[in-house]
Amino acid sequence: MKLSIGNWTLNRKLALLIGGLGFLAIFAGSPYKGFTSKVDSQELAAIVQKEVDHVSPEELAGWIISGKADYRLVDLRKEAVFAEYHIPTAENILLPSISEGGLSRGEKVILYSDGGIHSAQAWFLLKANGYKGVYILRGGLEEWKDKVLFPRLAENAPPAEVAAFEKVKLVSTFFGGSPQVGGAAALTAPTMALPKLDAPAGGPVKAGTGKKKKEGC
Amino acid sequence: MNAPFFKFGLFGDDVSLIAAFVIGIGFGFFLERAGFGSAKKLCAQFYFTDLAVFKVMFTAIITAMVGLFWLSWLGFVDLSLVYVTPTYIVPQVVGGLILGVGFVVGGYCPGTSCVAAATGKLDAFVYLGGIIVGIFVFGELFPILSAFYESTPMGVVTIPQYFGISYGLVVFLVVLMAIGGFAGGAWVEKKFASTVKES
Amino acid sequence: MSSAEKTLTLDDAAVHKKAHVAREAQPYWNPYVAGLGLGLVLLSSFVIMGRGLGASGAFSSLVAATVNTVAPSHAASNTFYAEYIGDGTRNPLKDWLVFEVLGAIAGGFISGLLAGRVKKTVEKGPRISVGKRFAFAFSGGIIMGFGAKLARGCTSGQALTGGALLGLGSWAFMLAVFGGAYAVAYFVRRQWT
Repeated sequence: MKLSIGNWTLNRKLALLIGGLGFLAIFAGSPYKGFTSKVDSQELAAIVQKEVDHVSPEELAGWIISGKADYRLVDLRKEAVFAEYHIPTAENILLPSISEGGLSRGEKVILYSDGGIHSAQAWFLLKANGYKGVYILRGGLEEWKDKVLFPRLAENAPPAEVAAFEKVKLVSTFFGGSPQVGGAAALTAPTMALPKLDAPAGGPVKAGTGKKKKEGC
Repeated sequence: MNAPFFKFGLFGDDVSLIAAFVIGIGFGFFLERAGFGSAKKLCAQFYFTDLAVFKVMFTAIITAMVGLFWLSWLGFVDLSLVYVTPTYIVPQVVGGLILGVGFVVGGYCPGTSCVAAATGKLDAFVYLGGIIVGIFVFGELFPILSAFYESTPMGVVTIPQYFGISYGLVVFLVVLMAIGGFAGGAWVEKKFASTVKES
Repeated sequence: MSSAEKTLTLDDAAVHKKAHVAREAQPYWNPYVAGLGLGLVLLSSFVIMGRGLGASGAFSSLVAATVNTVAPSHAASNTFYAEYIGDGTRNPLKDWLVFEVLGAIAGGFISGLLAGRVKKTVEKGPRISVGKRFAFAFSGGIIMGFGAKLARGCTSGQALTGGALLGLGSWAFMLAVFGGAYAVAYFVRRQWT
């Protein structure tokens, strides 16, 4: 009996096609290709060189105060230290779960850790995976403490700096920090107690619920 | 890999609504082409005289399933980003039984009733009114029902994961079952068509 | 002379018949071809949006939005409605499924129009009255709406989409739908035969 496929009805041909594709699927292996991606090294290197991937603590402080909510602030540190203190409006997402962290590739993400190493590594991972608006908080939590929570004004600072420091003081008190004037500042800063998180919490409202999109049916 | 396009940020929420409309047009178009704007044709499935519901549904399922498998395998689509409804096994089975009853009593399902209403079937309009009332009743009773509604959660689980079989093998088995069903269906239709002629 | 007249009338009849046939309903497509089309639409939704089709969710949004307009505090305190209303920053009707269902209505109409199947009728069998058919349709709709919400989807969303994605609950749902339908079909057969 000759298998003259040419004479087959349309239905039979369709069945053969889909049957064949289904059969081959057995040997194909997993369709889940995982978190792999092509990296455009040149593009990434250019971004790093231009330093357009940074956000300064002062900028971030300004955004939080003005209630700007168009970004996700991600704290990459362990849960214990996150609970002790974190920048208001931050979410705690650790590196291994960064791809499941509910971050969408189109939104603005600001990463921070204690210094800059983990945030830089997370930045690279996300950028390599097609996340567009990823930024690093320059200096991490250390610089946040230094510039926002406990800003210092030198003893014999010029009047222009003194005037500018007034605004910095307001920002610092907003976040529960304590501005200092003069003194052997560099030694005392690390021993300052970090503010409790009740004031101002910044609210978890933005973090989860507003962003959740229904995808059911 | 840059698909699903929306999940890779290629366009925003507002454009996605346009995409929804266009995809919906395709959806409604093929439903009507299949004749699913007619309750008579839909219900014939359950009297074994016309198994179009089974044929169309399973052809669509295996087409999308096989297509998605190969596109993911090729690395074009990130399969892990495609939304799968989480499994709540008991409410889904009970809801399915109730839905089946509603299907055969009313003659439509939500999607096909829209298509039927679009082509002028008055009973489809009545049916749509019923759906809205049914959802309202569910919403009002939700405080009592929510415990049951949230019971037996199993998270997002697929058949390959649950049974520990490879995805590709499940794809093949589903395709095989569907084609077998189509072949068997032709025989069943012939058998029941003759009994209908007699009555 | 008379034979020429006869051929003229026959030709006239043929022309008249052609115009008449175009306005009659065309036969439905081969179900496998229609299913292939539907499957490709579903696949395109996966590729474009990373989600599948649906229908019942659009009606849930509609109900929730209506309840919210009529009795906002009641809607807010009910977890089911609140989910569809969101945090108030966005109109609940500006939902993906709502637009998709609107598209489905348009698509169904276009297909029906092209095939001459748009007609104000009541789908029913010969042995049942319109009123009784409406009663069945309405009660069936209520049951269907309730069941769809309990199961977190309907045949388009759970069965088609979830089926293609090999979701465990979706396949169980599908079997349950066929089971429930076949179990009761015999008792309502008078609607059609």
